[in-house]
Amino acid sequence: MVLQNILSKKLLPIVFLLLVSNNISAQKTVRYDLYVKDTLVNFTGKFKRAIAVNGQIPMPTLVFTEGDTAEIYVHNLLKEETSLHWHGLFLPNKEDGVPNLTQMPIKPNTTHVYRFPIIQNGTHWYHSHSGLQEQIGMYGNFIMLKKSDDKTFRKGIDDLPTVPIVLSEWTDLKPENIHRMLHNANDYPALKKNAVQSYAEAIKAGHFKTKLKNEWKRMLAMDVSDVYYEKILMNGKSITDLSIIDGKELKAGDKVRLRISNGGASSYFWLTYAGGKITVVANDGNDVEPVEVDRLIIAVSETYDIIVTIPAENTAFEFLATTEDRTNSASLYIGNGIKQLKSSQPRLKYFEGMKMMNDMMKMNGDLDDMGMNMSLNQMDMNVVMYPEITGDSKPKQSDNDPNRYNANALADIVTLNYAMLKSPNNTSLPKDAPVKELKFTLTGNMNRYVWSLDNRVISETDKILIKKGENVRIVLYNNSMMRHPMHLHGHDFRLLNGQGANAPLKNVVDIMPMETDTLEFNANVEGDWFFHCHILYHMMSGMGRVFTYENQAPNPLITNPKLAQRKLFADDRKFHFMADNDFATNGNDGMAMLQNTRWSIGSEWRLGYNDMHGYETETHIGRYIGKMQWLMPFIGFDWRYRKMGIDEQEENLFGQVNKKTTELL
Amino acid sequence: MNLISKISAATILLFSFSSCNAQIKNTKTESVKIYGNCEMCEKTIETAGSVKKIANVDWNKDTKMATITYDSTKTNQDEILKRIALAGYDSDKFLAPDDVYSKLAGCCQYERVNKTAIVSTAVIEDHSMHNQENVVETKQEVNQLKTIFESYFALKDALVKSDGKLVSTLAKDVLANINSVKMEKLSSEEHTVWMKVMSSLKSNTEKIAATTIIEKQRVVFMDLSANFYALLKVSKQDYSIYYQNCPMYNDGKGANWLSKENAVKNPYYGSQMLTCGKTVETIK
Repeated sequence: MVLQNILSKKLLPIVFLLLVSNNISAQKTVRYDLYVKDTLVNFTGKFKRAIAVNGQIPMPTLVFTEGDTAEIYVHNLLKEETSLHWHGLFLPNKEDGVPNLTQMPIKPNTTHVYRFPIIQNGTHWYHSHSGLQEQIGMYGNFIMLKKSDDKTFRKGIDDLPTVPIVLSEWTDLKPENIHRMLHNANDYPALKKNAVQSYAEAIKAGHFKTKLKNEWKRMLAMDVSDVYYEKILMNGKSITDLSIIDGKELKAGDKVRLRISNGGASSYFWLTYAGGKITVVANDGNDVEPVEVDRLIIAVSETYDIIVTIPAENTAFEFLATTEDRTNSASLYIGNGIKQLKSSQPRLKYFEGMKMMNDMMKMNGDLDDMGMNMSLNQMDMNVVMYPEITGDSKPKQSDNDPNRYNANALADIVTLNYAMLKSPNNTSLPKDAPVKELKFTLTGNMNRYVWSLDNRVISETDKILIKKGENVRIVLYNNSMMRHPMHLHGHDFRLLNGQGANAPLKNVVDIMPMETDTLEFNANVEGDWFFHCHILYHMMSGMGRVFTYENQAPNPLITNPKLAQRKLFADDRKFHFMADNDFATNGNDGMAMLQNTRWSIGSEWRLGYNDMHGYETETHIGRYIGKMQWLMPFIGFDWRYRKMGIDEQEENLFGQVNKKTTELL
Repeated sequence: MNLISKISAATILLFSFSSCNAQIKNTKTESVKIYGNCEMCEKTIETAGSVKKIANVDWNKDTKMATITYDSTKTNQDEILKRIALAGYDSDKFLAPDDVYSKLAGCCQYERVNKTAIVSTAVIEDHSMHNQENVVETKQEVNQLKTIFESYFALKDALVKSDGKLVSTLAKDVLANINSVKMEKLSSEEHTVWMKVMSSLKSNTEKIAATTIIEKQRVVFMDLSANFYALLKVSKQDYSIYYQNCPMYNDGKGANWLSKENAVKNPYYGSQMLTCGKTVETIK
């Protein structure tokens, strides 16, 4: 008894000491404190509200080395809730940062700690997953370095001078307002971009028939992006000089590695360089075999690591990020001296695009790929609009050329596509695991800005159950008219792109209209994982699903799952308000509507200036039916009043007389 | 009636007056140098730089100096000069993109004094290698040839673009690189092949440089590519090179070329038949 006592008393501390010292030598804890605060910014000459973290936009660059433990304290000094999602990271589900799904929102004036081990390396980023906060400043670089003794350390790549860059856009409009306008098919962004595509313009360009057909199919004017942005930013600035890295001046012959994340809410960017070819060495934080290209497009929320060379003395070469619609760009000048510019990308040929979409869309809203099997961004329908690929005016290639949308076959420049990405390692999944195959069709309705999977938004579906250990294969088909960057939380997936065992690992796949892509991953971390379109306004409209593991342990941070679910679903159930009024000489004519994904509550009015003109108002509530939502049964009521003078009663064709001099239902 | 027409005439006068005198507020005026030649240049420079009510550019073709007047609350000198450079004209701050410059009319192709020539990578790496003697020897051997290969690829790209002028200039680069090879630093294998192909490489490139007619250049390019292929087979490069074939050229006998990209871009026909051809061998 005595002996035992001594043993436990003396040994225990020793054991304890041993454990502690072991911990210290094995891992380093890296702590960051992030203070999230309201701020005013001036990007365009006007002061506007934004959110700054530690007083800056973008949020600070967080750097870790594989093997570290991250400890991130988020101090919410806003008047609203917030959250932070670590994009592309493998971590325990409760650290994933999706409010109402993996944690409850961080309330104003509270602090939340994210703590997780860093078990991977590569270029990633982080952003708010609450509401539309990502649009107004809450995005930042998240870099995880390889250990110096890592077997995959690549000489000439991983030891180059490196700069992290997060791309973003700025608009002076409030993001809530953009969201509302998108839902009501407002022309404002097209006007700002000079891209309305009116009848007058159509006739001038010899495309009158194209425009007419477009209206008949109830399509909105063609565009490759919805939102007009005043500024494009690289690390918060639209023009940046990069002449020194780590205290060393850049000179001719130097190679520079750029770790680029697209933190834009809804913009794709073309990346081009004035000093020659771009070498792509990693994508979504995973190494790929180096591939040389002239340009690449980075989808919303993707990351690319690229290497550029400074080819001449006394010159700074322009690295350009241009929006997909080519209306705006940001520049980085790499090197010292006079600035060598890169030619800007020419304006899009909108009517060619409109014609292409007319041909593709059937009356029921389905897209017709005319027998082409498209995937992996290899065929880009938009090339019909790119003057640098298809010439300045009408395209010369014939309508049944199999290569008519293949940018690399049509022009002398090389554009990156997913088929060119190859992992340096074997990425095959465990062979003996059971396979679960899931199919999703990406669907959308541009007019009412409803975006969904299989025509169902998040709040209309159950979570998708998967089992730990099985291989999940997802086949995606895009039957909508826009491209969508689909992002999976917590896992990297293999994109089956013809590279066999060396299929690249990604966490975002950009899928263009009519493309089919297949991806697969091994289900190895329990939790509720979001799978969604990363265009902020599409996600908020409900374009996504939640994967969940069978019989998993409950998330300790979600104390009231029912409440959390209701709050999560509230995002895409939100009603949007619109109103318009016509001031005419004989009265006012107008309507106001509250709408969401399926329901519409509206009121119309026709009000005269006096009793003789009469008054009428009509209110109805209805539900949109079917995919294209061309039918809306509704119930409602109507009220009219019109006072006529004596003997002034109008008689109609059937001899009926209006007797409504008082209110009638 | 008379009165109305008088009033309207006055109104029109008023409007036209205000429009031609589009006032720039908060003006700042500066004088900057912009490179160019002729009256055509003047027009392009002034249109590119000016923005109604924000900036006005007045360029003098004799002094090459531009007077720029702008609203300092709305724009700055850099923005104006950048627009002018994007239209093809260098200043002391910005260089025009090469493709835009090369599309300027012949009379507008001014001398680009501010442009520094692209340095070949070999020269640079020599500098950085000075302190590691062991590495220097082996590295240089590869690099000497690497420089030549790089200039060959540039030449090939110009042929793809069917730009005879550019091809001729680039051929001179290739020739210069061939002449600067130090044979004693080549490996024995490379040396043997080098002795075999050197004289024909020289004569090939001289011929290409001597003309700007693309058809003539392409005929010689066949020979040049064959010689380069022989050389490349014995010289190790740190990336894959693709040996590609166009079955149609040379009266259907076919012709080959080397490329750094697997995607076919035909240098024998350019845009006429850009993707005609296939990769016949991958050299690692």
